[in-house]
Amino acid sequence: MSGRLRLGVSLTAASALIFAACGGGGTTSSGTSAKTQGGTATVNMGTAPDSLDPQSGYTTQAAEADWLAYTGLLTYAHANGQAGTQLIPGLATALPQISSDGMTYTLTVRPGLTYTNGAPVKASDFPYSLERAMKISWGGKSFFTDYIAGAADYDSGKAQSISGITTDDATGQVTIHLTKAYGAFDNILAFPAAGFVPTGTPMNDLGNNPPPGVGSYSITNVVPNQSFTMQRNTRFNIPGIPQGHLQTINVHVQSNTLTEAQQVLNNQADNFDAGDTVPPTLLSQIQSSAGGRFAKETAALTFYFFMNTTTKPFDNPLVRQAVNLALDRRALQRLASGFITPGCYFLPPQLPGHPTAPCPYGDPNGAPNLTKAKALVQQSGLAGTPITVWGQNRSPRQEYVTYYTSVLNQLGFNATPKIIQSSLYFSTIGNASTNPQTGFADWSQDFPNPSDFYLLLDGTAIQPVKNQNFSMVNDPQIQSSLAKLYPVPATQLSSVASNWQQLDEYVAKQAYEAVYGYEQVPKFMSNRINFSSAVFHPVYYNDWSSWQLNG
Amino acid sequence: MATQPTGTSQDQGDLRLAGEPAPELAGESIEEAQPTAGVGPYRLALRRLRRNHVALAFGIIFLLVLAVSAAAPLYAHYIAHTGPNDNHVTDTVTVGGHVENVVSTTGIPIGPTWHSRFFFGADQNGRDIAVRLLYGGRASLEIGLLAAVITTVLATIVGTAAGYFRGLVDGILARLMDLIWAYPPVLLGIALGTSLALGGLKLGPLTIKGNSLLIPALIIGFVYVPWVGKPIRGQVLSLREREFIDAARTQGMGHGRIMTSEVLPNLGSTIVVFIPLIIANAVLLEDALSFLGAGVQPPNPSWGTMISEGLQLLTSAPHLVLVPGLTLVLAVVGINVFGDGVRDALDPRAQVRIEH
Amino acid sequence: MGRFAVRRVASMLLVLFAISILTFLIFQKIPNGDPALRIAGRTASPENIASIRHTWGFDRPIWDQYVITMQKVFTGSVISYTQKINVLDQIRRGLPATVSLAVGAGLIWLFWGIVLGMVSALKAGRFSDRALAVLSLAGISTPVFVVGAVLLYVLAFLIPIFPNGGYVPITQDPFQWFVHLILPWFALSVLFIGFYSRVLRSNVLDTMGDDYVRTARAKGLSERRVLVRHVLRTSLIPIVSLWGLDFAAVIGGGSIITETVFNLQGVGQYAAQSIQALDVPPVLVIVMFAAFVVVFVAALIDILYAYLDPRIRLSA
Repeated sequence: MSGRLRLGVSLTAASALIFAACGGGGTTSSGTSAKTQGGTATVNMGTAPDSLDPQSGYTTQAAEADWLAYTGLLTYAHANGQAGTQLIPGLATALPQISSDGMTYTLTVRPGLTYTNGAPVKASDFPYSLERAMKISWGGKSFFTDYIAGAADYDSGKAQSISGITTDDATGQVTIHLTKAYGAFDNILAFPAAGFVPTGTPMNDLGNNPPPGVGSYSITNVVPNQSFTMQRNTRFNIPGIPQGHLQTINVHVQSNTLTEAQQVLNNQADNFDAGDTVPPTLLSQIQSSAGGRFAKETAALTFYFFMNTTTKPFDNPLVRQAVNLALDRRALQRLASGFITPGCYFLPPQLPGHPTAPCPYGDPNGAPNLTKAKALVQQSGLAGTPITVWGQNRSPRQEYVTYYTSVLNQLGFNATPKIIQSSLYFSTIGNASTNPQTGFADWSQDFPNPSDFYLLLDGTAIQPVKNQNFSMVNDPQIQSSLAKLYPVPATQLSSVASNWQQLDEYVAKQAYEAVYGYEQVPKFMSNRINFSSAVFHPVYYNDWSSWQLNG
Repeated sequence: MATQPTGTSQDQGDLRLAGEPAPELAGESIEEAQPTAGVGPYRLALRRLRRNHVALAFGIIFLLVLAVSAAAPLYAHYIAHTGPNDNHVTDTVTVGGHVENVVSTTGIPIGPTWHSRFFFGADQNGRDIAVRLLYGGRASLEIGLLAAVITTVLATIVGTAAGYFRGLVDGILARLMDLIWAYPPVLLGIALGTSLALGGLKLGPLTIKGNSLLIPALIIGFVYVPWVGKPIRGQVLSLREREFIDAARTQGMGHGRIMTSEVLPNLGSTIVVFIPLIIANAVLLEDALSFLGAGVQPPNPSWGTMISEGLQLLTSAPHLVLVPGLTLVLAVVGINVFGDGVRDALDPRAQVRIEH
Repeated sequence: MGRFAVRRVASMLLVLFAISILTFLIFQKIPNGDPALRIAGRTASPENIASIRHTWGFDRPIWDQYVITMQKVFTGSVISYTQKINVLDQIRRGLPATVSLAVGAGLIWLFWGIVLGMVSALKAGRFSDRALAVLSLAGISTPVFVVGAVLLYVLAFLIPIFPNGGYVPITQDPFQWFVHLILPWFALSVLFIGFYSRVLRSNVLDTMGDDYVRTARAKGLSERRVLVRHVLRTSLIPIVSLWGLDFAAVIGGGSIITETVFNLQGVGQYAAQSIQALDVPPVLVIVMFAAFVVVFVAALIDILYAYLDPRIRLSA
């Protein structure tokens, strides 16, 4: 069935953000006559957004809409692929000025901006919006509380406001003090949750009636779990951000993916939710009869099996290597109906820092080396060790784990799967008392920055509840690299890409986890929309503001 | 009048039976027909049942499904040469001279090959459907039978105690049954199933793991207690007024003795009539719970989990749903038609009903 | 009469109260089921989780949490954990689909149950009776998800006459509403048709032996008149009250599987999704709503019978 966030907040469920395949589509308009302005489109969503309130919405579907309706100080370029990961000024006049110690960010809000309700935009709306996100318990609020000075005190009720942010409504200046240098803070400023809402907006979830914002579209007519409408905001005008073409975009929740896909195939609806799986039944028909309006895009979502380096048998590197050698990533690709790009590195291909070196334990697109893997297990002397393999009951993730279990048994272990409710999965394996040996895991970017991924291999990030470093990796070499790489500002990421590459190659060689691939998502539209000029954004999927009707 | 809800007259708490013919009639009608308790009625019933060829034929169908399912390990070992949880995702099979993928590159499993391996085709993981069908049948039927035992035992104890002691005991037990009865069975089942599958169950010194088959069996057994317990209670209430109980009491028999040696034998036919019905409904509820993810826990198969997993590929691989679905229906029809025959033979006027 | 009704209502409230406690406790038992963990995002720190636990009141004693939740239920301000939206609004939104399903299916199963039951009774012992018996039992034995899946496969995919699930509000398009509901109605009815026809058959057979029916015949009334005016009328009384209860059960979440298979987005599917997500507030409200509907209809039927038949009142 559909959707990534059916069952509460799971990893992919969270703000899964994607990179478009480099080879695909391309930004250059193909030259088919496209109307420039006006018109209506219908979008099918397999899963309803959790909330359309920018300070509450946490899922892909929510971000896809909120991104356009709630611009923050910074935002991303509206472009395909790598170019779309580029941070650009949003409501700020320019990218932030960062102090030499990396602890102070200074920006200026553009003068003369207004909200959709006509109210003027003020610099002090920025801290108000962040405070609101914390009050409403936005799922990513730890990004605010961990890095902005005084935010944690505000969150715990010890302070009435965030002491680390000072604003001047007259000049529009915003100064943010951090608790520690964090290069990815630029990315944090671009979250839709940091999008401006007017001071005084009620401090509760307004998902049914989203507050005014600044953006190319505004969200109206919300019927929870059923539909909502994006209406073009004619007063929106910020250089570098598209103003949108279509007048109205009607979004309908269609949780039956077969119906959802059929409607797009028959041009009754204009877009298929990129978060949904194209039904295998229709896949060949879509590829043959609608090939010109269907593409598979690789997402920045890594699938892997974690291996707890502090428990038997995975505390032995030979065993972890054996698993990496024995996994047939093509089999897992098949379980995903082909929607996985096989790989072995933790950082996905479109992220700066993805290694180019060949995989240390065999070609992920080739046959596995079972003989060598079995020999390694024998050498380790751990054959026969009982292993509980954790998995969630969502399809096809449950199937991945079933397959993985059978591989472990082939290697000579005594493995049994333990499949639990998806909604509880990550809180269960992230609880220190569970101390899981191995199991399913995935990570999708919160923002296009390798440091977001390395939170999962950071020894200092190990915590007793809601732990994300499932492999319990605490490696001095990783820690020293991270200490150098974390403070590098996101805008200068390319200068340290090779350092990230080295780090990621090291992690693969140590076999701290068994990565098997990256998610592929569908870009699938009706023949009414100009396919080639429609941007598939690496962070927010379909960029509705780029859509134009075919003439 | 036979169809008036006299059940309500006993106690205002007796809710669901309001619309049904009085359950105690079941007992009365037997007594009317066979005034002397003993082997007689059962032998008579057996003779009647033996003449009901349709019921017998369906009973045999059920037994066949049961026997074949019980032989699942033999089939897996000697014929299919693969286990219920063995993956063959990247394997190929030769069907009619063609080499075919067990699971296609787009994830669609092969349909029935009618060979010893993948007789009924494979599932998404390249597991043998026929093997899983038999193991799944074993799980479904084991749970069904176990749940039937649990319901029967609990319902008899609760129903008898409530009807016999009346007063406070009845007040408490009847309220408890009302509580379970008013809770929609499927909702109660999935709420309990979801909770217990994650946490397991501790019963005094006994700990049951979350993935044990005992959990769904206990839940289903528990959910159906009022449906059987209430009619039994009603019957005991009326039995209690009869002379032979008084006689036993004046002879100085204890409550325990009276209940086991005087009351219980008179409940026999009601219980016998209920048993096939509980089995059928327990199997159905088990599969409904598994279908909703709150019964048998994956990767272990049950018919319900197989159907639920297959539903996602209904249009491209309908065998995933049809094979377990039709087998399930066959088994349940078997026990239901047989149970109907048993009822006709023992007590044609009894009306028993369970909802799932 | 008044006292009977009061006692009936009191016992109804007691059951509802117990059900709400039971539901609350069932979900409290789940390990790692702390809703704060799920409300907090994936990158939450222990401090974030603690603050959520505090704001939502999960750090309070369980009975306190129960009281607070129940207060919210009765003031209509209860919010779900996952989507943080008003539960009562969601139920109200799902109700039209569920009621549409229940009403249509209820009429279908009542009609066919009566027709098949009458035919069976009239042909009692003959081949058609036996065939109908096996057919009814097959209906009782077929789970709705199997019927639903087969119907969808054959009639929505192989021969696409019907839509592949979904619900269209009657206010939006009555024709589409009807077309979308045909398969679900039928799938849900199968079980009940089988059961009702069996019950009616034996009721009719019972009644036919009664004195007054013999008297009616002796008076020279036509067989048809006897059947319709006397036998059927009497036999229908328990069927109709049974129907009331089943209808109530379907409204109160009994259609959970039908709604899931056909994706009707009604109350039942909301319940299924909430249980999957371990979202306690909607589950609690739906279960109480379901129990209320069932218990209420049962009480209504009881009181109605008590009104019709004074003996019940006296013994109560």
